[in-house]
Amino acid sequence: MGKSAVLDVERSYGYGREDVEARSQEEPGWLRERRLEAFEVWERTPLPTTRSEEWRYTDPKLLKWNAVKLADGTDPASSADAAEARVAGKDAAGTVIQIGASAAEFRLDPELAARGVVLMDLSAAAREHETLIREHLGTRAVTPESGKFAALNGALWSGGVFLHVPRGVQIEHPIRVVRWIDEAGLAYLPRTLVVAEDGARVGLIEEFASPDLEEPAFSCGAVEIVAATAAQVHYVALQRWGQGVRHMSTQRTIAGRDAKLDTLIVNLGGSVARVDLMAALEGPGARSDMLGLYFGHGDQHFDHETRQEHRVPHASSDLLYKGGLDGESRAVFRGLIKVFPKAQRTDAYQTNRNLILSRTAQATSLPNLEIEADDVRCSHAATVGQLDEDELFYIMSRGIPRREAERLVVFGFFGDVLDRLPLPDVVRELRAAIEAKIG
Amino acid sequence: MPENETVAQLGLEEYKYGFITEEKSFFKARPGLDEDIVREISAHKEEPEWMLEFRLEALKIYQSKPMPTWGGDLSTLEATLNEIYFYLKPQERMERSWDDVPQEIKDTFEKLGIPEAERKVLAGVGAQYESEMVYHSLKKEWEDKGIIFESIEDGLKKYPDLFREHFSTVIPPNDNKFAALNSAVWSGGSFVYIPKGVKVDIPLQAYFRVNAERMGQFERTLIIVEEGAQAQYIEGCTAPVYSTESFHSGVIEIIVKPGARFRYVTIQNWSSNMYNLVTQRALVHEHATMEWLDGNLGSKLTMKYPSCYLVGPGAHGSILSIAYAGDGQHQDTGGKVIHAAPHTTSQILSKSISKGTGRATYRGLVKVYEGSDNAKSNVECDALLLNETARTDTFPYIEIEEQSSSVGHEATVSKIGAEQLFYLMSRGLSEEEASAMIVRGFIEPIAKLLPLEYAVELNRLIELEMEGSVG
Repeated sequence: MGKSAVLDVERSYGYGREDVEARSQEEPGWLRERRLEAFEVWERTPLPTTRSEEWRYTDPKLLKWNAVKLADGTDPASSADAAEARVAGKDAAGTVIQIGASAAEFRLDPELAARGVVLMDLSAAAREHETLIREHLGTRAVTPESGKFAALNGALWSGGVFLHVPRGVQIEHPIRVVRWIDEAGLAYLPRTLVVAEDGARVGLIEEFASPDLEEPAFSCGAVEIVAATAAQVHYVALQRWGQGVRHMSTQRTIAGRDAKLDTLIVNLGGSVARVDLMAALEGPGARSDMLGLYFGHGDQHFDHETRQEHRVPHASSDLLYKGGLDGESRAVFRGLIKVFPKAQRTDAYQTNRNLILSRTAQATSLPNLEIEADDVRCSHAATVGQLDEDELFYIMSRGIPRREAERLVVFGFFGDVLDRLPLPDVVRELRAAIEAKIG
Repeated sequence: MPENETVAQLGLEEYKYGFITEEKSFFKARPGLDEDIVREISAHKEEPEWMLEFRLEALKIYQSKPMPTWGGDLSTLEATLNEIYFYLKPQERMERSWDDVPQEIKDTFEKLGIPEAERKVLAGVGAQYESEMVYHSLKKEWEDKGIIFESIEDGLKKYPDLFREHFSTVIPPNDNKFAALNSAVWSGGSFVYIPKGVKVDIPLQAYFRVNAERMGQFERTLIIVEEGAQAQYIEGCTAPVYSTESFHSGVIEIIVKPGARFRYVTIQNWSSNMYNLVTQRALVHEHATMEWLDGNLGSKLTMKYPSCYLVGPGAHGSILSIAYAGDGQHQDTGGKVIHAAPHTTSQILSKSISKGTGRATYRGLVKVYEGSDNAKSNVECDALLLNETARTDTFPYIEIEEQSSSVGHEATVSKIGAEQLFYLMSRGLSEEEASAMIVRGFIEPIAKLLPLEYAVELNRLIELEMEGSVG
């Protein structure tokens, strides 16, 4: 074989073409082609370095993407209870439980299934709902060109979730997806595709969880959400990985005419988490509320890259990301509001607020604007600050000990994010999670 | 009314500074840049050996650094730099008396209103024509107090120790590609020294004029403000309009010692064929205050981010920036504040106006190092867009390593509000007058800090630019 084989291995960093073929063994030919195309993009895209603007504050090496090997099937029984506990007792119209890289278990309210709602494995959907998947999977939202790691996911995703809500169907309770891993040293590549047709309404809560791991694990995900005319979609990503897990997620949402497509990105766990989220507003009257919440401790490193792309007139977006940073944790926020020429009457707002709770924590905030239309209302704001001594003093003067007063102020800080979330279950969970982190 | 008078005296019209004076140079290096040119420049200036070595070293750094890929479009700059004249000496020696300045040059500056301004409102004036200062003078009362206000070349000759101690300590040649270029070929600029405790209440001024075609101007200014001293410095820049591109790349180093206060004002009105890539930085010591007031109206592309390095406890930095980007112009401006000591405070206020195909970019950095206890910084950027082809960007960087610091950034983008226009027009103003008034109100917070003559000039320029902008 000689030299070229060695080079190939080096270029693909342990992820090989044969892995792509193994993944798509039972998939239709067109899907295999798409995976292979994505793999070519992965191979020819240079690895980002901190010299590139997007990765300036997060060295891609931190993701340990090449120190792991591709996960392929785990014994689902081993962690079934732990994963199951994540959805037990919560209102859900459907659930998906995926353990490791194994096939997921899907449950959907039969009444919804009767009305045409589809919640199933993405690979299987490629066979059973070919037209839909061909149209949406990796074509408009997360394409291989969305980034080096988006290309890797495009080539090697497994355990994909597909949710399709037909025209006019409104689902009251959210769908819950739990992605559970318990094995270190492996790379997981989850993918989620949500398509809401005209006037449909649905919420999807995707939770990432694991126990603390001794060695690194790498989760390289992709999330694609399309909301057609007047559809309403609410997506929540709850990242609660245990220690050791590296989380990379490329997320793209596309909101059509009069659609409402809201997201909440929560980062609490993992060692390193980077979320690259772009919200495209592609129809007049479209609206995206984008919330973010993060709380770091120890040496956690969170990086949020967001884009609000206004391509048409009369759309609006409002972003609010808030984070607390304790220990030696570090947070990066880099957001962009991009208003294209002719996207008049755009309303776009972007706010990032950081609360630094220890001497050694760090925050970097880069709220950017690129405006190429003139009849717009755009603003952004960013702050980095500490607990307000006056607020603490006031609470303590009411006889509350300092530690408790601090907790109250931190909750107050996150209050406006939680208040904007219309999902009471999630708000309760988040409160508990933040409480646990404040300690 | 004095305000009207001043306007009349300034005799402003559409880029009135675009006139060309016949070129009569004393010495002109060949175009392009290599080691020989650098040696030639150094020889003409009869420099000490260390400066020649400094220049040659900087040239190597310049050649080894890649062209920046961020900011404005620099794709044709490489070609421009191969064709421009890096050194052009307009006369044999610098004059102290206005009467001795050659007639053509004198006429040029008369047209620009410099001697008039000197008589009226300035403590001292320096005038640079092409590569050299042609005139430098300081009022006697200030000279008596020990103030030094010289061309940078004379600073090096007359005060070699003071010069060498501070030169290039704030902006070393390897800071960036254009700082390296300037370090290699610098010529002209001012050397200013304000002794301990001396307070100058009227400004010192330098005026920069590029007259020749395909000219590169590389002024270098070094300002030392001793403990408890106070002063302000104003620079103005203009050039004729040629079809070819010219290049201006200055390096301004300022050291503000404990308790001192300094303000540096720039009114940049280069013609629209000029690249203007400037590095300006101040080192601000304990309880000292540095204020940059940066007005960018001209040039094809300006990339300029005045900086304050707050290195002493209690130091304060303030950057006020106003940019006007008309057709074909890109103003990539902003500011940079580094907090490296406790209790340091800073403020950045940026206002930009984009019109036609103009693009105004705010690019800024606030960095708070660990240990800068209780550092506070506030950044505000407002952009006004005058029509649908105009563009604005905001790229703030906020890097915080200190828990007890507090940093805020806010930006807004808007167009002239229909309600505001309606209100003013209902009071009998034309749409054009009403728009101009709104724009003036928009820049007011910065314009009011300018000395009156400059505020009037700025307002007048904006008004001229606004003409025909409606409908």
